[in-house]
Amino acid sequence: MSAHRVAGRGRIDADAPLNFSFDGRAFQGRRGDTIASALLANGVRVMGRSFKYHRPRGPWGAWVDDPNAIMNVALNGVELPNCPATTTYLEEGMAARSVNAFPSARFDLKGGLDLFHRWLGAGFYYKTFMWPDWHLFEPMIRRMAGLGAVSDAVLEGYVADQLHDRCEVLVVGGGAAGLVAARSAAEAGQDVCLVEDHAECGGGVWQRAEIEGTAPADWVAAQVAAIVAAGGRVLTRATAFGVFDHRMVGIVENRAFGQAPRLRRMRAGRIVLASGALDRPVTFANNDRPGVMSVDGAGEMLARYGVLVGRRIAVVANNSAARAVLPALVQAGAEVVEVDPAAGPIRVLGAKRIRGLDQGGRRVEADTVLASGGLTPLVHLWRHAGGKLDWCDARQAFIPGRAPEGMVAVGAAAGAFDLESALEEARGVARGGAVEASVSHYHLTPLWPAPGAKGRQWIDFQHDVTLKDVELAARENYVSVEHLKRYTTLGMASDQGKTANMAGLAAMAAIQGRPIPEVGTTTFRPPFVPIPIETYHGAHRGQLWHPLKRLALEEAHRAAGAALGEYGGWLRPGWYGQGDVAQIIAEEVRMARGTAGIFDASPLGKIEVMGPDAEAFVDFVYYNTIRTLKPGHIRYGFLLSEGGAVMDDGVIARVDQDRFVISCSSSHVDGVRTHLEAWRQDGNDPDRIFIHDTTQHWATVTMTGPKAREIVGALGLEVDLSAEAFPHMRLREVVWQGGPLRIARVSFTGDVSFELSIRASRAEELWQALIAAGAPLGAGPLGLEALSIMRAEKGYLIIGKDTDGETMPHDLGFGIPRQKKTVAFIGDRSLHNAKANSTARKQLVGLRVAEGAVMLPTGAHVVEAGTQRSLGYVTSSYDSPTLDRPIALALIEDGVAQMGREVTIWHLGETRRATICGPCAFDPEGERLHA
Amino acid sequence: MRDDSGKWDRLPAVDAVIDAPGVVIRRVALVRQVLISGPDVLTQIDGPVVEWPGVVEAESYALSLRRDRVLWVNGPEMAEGWDAARNWAVSDVSDGYEVVEIAGAGALALLCRGAEVSLDQPSRSVARLLFGFGAFLYRAGNVQTYRAHVGRAQAGAFWTALEVHLRVSGDV
Repeated sequence: MSAHRVAGRGRIDADAPLNFSFDGRAFQGRRGDTIASALLANGVRVMGRSFKYHRPRGPWGAWVDDPNAIMNVALNGVELPNCPATTTYLEEGMAARSVNAFPSARFDLKGGLDLFHRWLGAGFYYKTFMWPDWHLFEPMIRRMAGLGAVSDAVLEGYVADQLHDRCEVLVVGGGAAGLVAARSAAEAGQDVCLVEDHAECGGGVWQRAEIEGTAPADWVAAQVAAIVAAGGRVLTRATAFGVFDHRMVGIVENRAFGQAPRLRRMRAGRIVLASGALDRPVTFANNDRPGVMSVDGAGEMLARYGVLVGRRIAVVANNSAARAVLPALVQAGAEVVEVDPAAGPIRVLGAKRIRGLDQGGRRVEADTVLASGGLTPLVHLWRHAGGKLDWCDARQAFIPGRAPEGMVAVGAAAGAFDLESALEEARGVARGGAVEASVSHYHLTPLWPAPGAKGRQWIDFQHDVTLKDVELAARENYVSVEHLKRYTTLGMASDQGKTANMAGLAAMAAIQGRPIPEVGTTTFRPPFVPIPIETYHGAHRGQLWHPLKRLALEEAHRAAGAALGEYGGWLRPGWYGQGDVAQIIAEEVRMARGTAGIFDASPLGKIEVMGPDAEAFVDFVYYNTIRTLKPGHIRYGFLLSEGGAVMDDGVIARVDQDRFVISCSSSHVDGVRTHLEAWRQDGNDPDRIFIHDTTQHWATVTMTGPKAREIVGALGLEVDLSAEAFPHMRLREVVWQGGPLRIARVSFTGDVSFELSIRASRAEELWQALIAAGAPLGAGPLGLEALSIMRAEKGYLIIGKDTDGETMPHDLGFGIPRQKKTVAFIGDRSLHNAKANSTARKQLVGLRVAEGAVMLPTGAHVVEAGTQRSLGYVTSSYDSPTLDRPIALALIEDGVAQMGREVTIWHLGETRRATICGPCAFDPEGERLHA
Repeated sequence: MRDDSGKWDRLPAVDAVIDAPGVVIRRVALVRQVLISGPDVLTQIDGPVVEWPGVVEAESYALSLRRDRVLWVNGPEMAEGWDAARNWAVSDVSDGYEVVEIAGAGALALLCRGAEVSLDQPSRSVARLLFGFGAFLYRAGNVQTYRAHVGRAQAGAFWTALEVHLRVSGDV
């Protein structure tokens, strides 16, 4: 057993044992361990299998940079897939299972695939499985590769908390530089928030014997205490995963295992990036073997978890920072042998267990290999925010260059790898000072992949991308790093290339003989670490996913047995009662045609336009002439887009000289209000026109049918309801039961109708009064489905159903304003261009089928005989209970000129015949409407 | 055609109260809400004009919505329509908005679940999106009592949003 626990080391609680299992075997860890550190402490090195070749893998790093140890973890009935073992804190009773391995990571049946690696290079599946069809092979390949599977179990209560937050200074990273930056800013009186992804602040400090003359634990505690004392906040187990517009930083806060994370959307006045740096892998043969780790990872394992990763350790490093870690390993009991990577090609010996390494025939005995190719600053958030990167030859790394507004990098993230100078810089920068270049004692010898080298040398551990794959990509001309990434999948694993990208682009640079900065980097995108999709989801689910608007009369409808459904963003009654739905709806139609129906029309718009220029304004926004409308009168009209397309229809009532009420379609109220507000400020004096949307203040109950007048009359209103005194398209305002009541004589059914609008809080009184008055006559509630049939019988259209995005008013039979209206109106010019004048425009017509034929399907195409070219389509189709035959409306090319012509209808392979007719199938003379 | 009656919860009762640690949520019945628009309405209105994050103490007050619009709360009865003398457009919307009061030490933290609400960011207007709904948000009576006016048709969903976020946040 090479890796083991060292007594008295680390930040774990040695007196708090935690039992857990991995691949079915029982182990014990300590509170404060991660799953990976606990397994290493138990001598377990193989923690997973690679994506493609199923090679055994152990952890490379000790935190977010590890691409190898990915597990499905279960606890208390909750199983979460693809948990990084290096960042998942151990809890009592956890059951971890390696992914992509069967039956275990230690012995994987698919491990034999590695023998065929010569035929499984980058993109092999695209080249190999072309015949007969790639899709035949794809499911099998997907099953064989990939990570953990999502459990079938529904996680009850797994809902992310999401909140918005603000601070003046956000410090990302609780290492030494982050801590002093946060403390300095807080003590300077700024509102500071520091986020640290570990459970404890400190970063690399824990690897040091002392800092500023103090023990690490005391120093870290003092910094945290000072930040809090100065009013700052410290969030641990919180990762800043992305920077978005206007310095909004996404922070994911991990909570207990199985509890959904919290998303904090932090708006920061200034961002201090102190995210540190990562150790780069060194590219040599078999550098993916379990037991090959980063030097920094080994240092962290010892300092935080008291785990010494090996007894005899070979170190392949090229830089001073790595060498600084080694004394601690020696002090903990390891025998350390340094191997100069420049002395010749290196090959790791052993498979699941390392036996040493070979360098040009010289064998170095070792049970562990630590590697460090230099430090790479973590600049992901810097790039999210649009910051530039500069190549630093001395550090052989990209470091922050031109800063995005309100952001500054400090510490190792800025390339300041020496602690003392990093602290000095961070203190100054946090108080608003400029970043000053410091003298660096960090030095390294460049060490990059050498193309053409022998052996299998891994670039991307998780996605099994080797140096040979990069060479293959270059041969096939995928030389841009973005193409290289997509062809080989380099950097596309769950670690997002934290360890792979630098090696990959350096290899491509070497192959092409170009400098590394010329090759460039791929795009850095959030999230910085894998986070559950639930983080973005939160409470935005169920009835809050797309909340419908609710009627004031909803309870009354439910009491009446209404079947409620979504209609244009509102929850409305489709019909009333249970049983054969088609029969119920037909009965409602017959009732309304025979006596009367009582309909809840509350969602209809009630948008008021007021002011001295209101008349000119509505005349401008309407296709129809409105300025001639008299107070108390109502007119039907269209609102057009600038392109001349009909965007809404409805009626407009003139209440008095300076006040109009627009009753637009129920589902278009928000859009019409926005349309009016926009045009009010465009070419008009906005101080002389005002738009008030009062839709939700009013409830509207429509009484329609031959007995409507009699039933409304029973309310005892002080208004003459006779056809002579109160004709069609008139408005009256009266008082009922002490409150205002608006009565509009408009109809969407073709029968005498009264729309009664009352304050929403009094809607129930009115509804019940009309129900009571109507019941003796056989009248009752009318649902939206029946209303839709009745309006279609009459040829009345629904915008968006019987029109499309190109329909103009003259396509609907309303051509006069286009020819006669002299003042400007929205859409005017577009009604006179070549497209508007075309004879091939689709026009609204009716369709009639032969006697005894069934109704046409909505959406069926009217096709040209022979060519089958679509000439139009059926927009509405019903079995009319009134006419006892099918009816249909359709948009058909030049349809009006073809009245009486028989056409072919095609739908889902079936062909039918129908005859073009006028849209109005019921009471074409309007006798019932004006009765 | 589908009967979705069972898919949507019945609307919460008007007198419903959510009493959670640190937060009490209830509906407030106001006498009157009148929408008034006019070029100088903010200076002409006869009452305190509430902006964010002001705290209103009076019974009758005007919520500043935009440079030419207020919602006059509990003001006098007014004739609707165009008031040519004052250049005001007047509409009674007393039933157009429901008013929800969120009070207590945890009220602000709860509201932060629904929008970027900050007491340090003043605004001339109390209008904002809150939990995805258009709302007029201000403080009434004391610094920990918030009122939100929400369109009547969406008030039920707004109430549900408060209830759900309160449950999910756990430690408001």
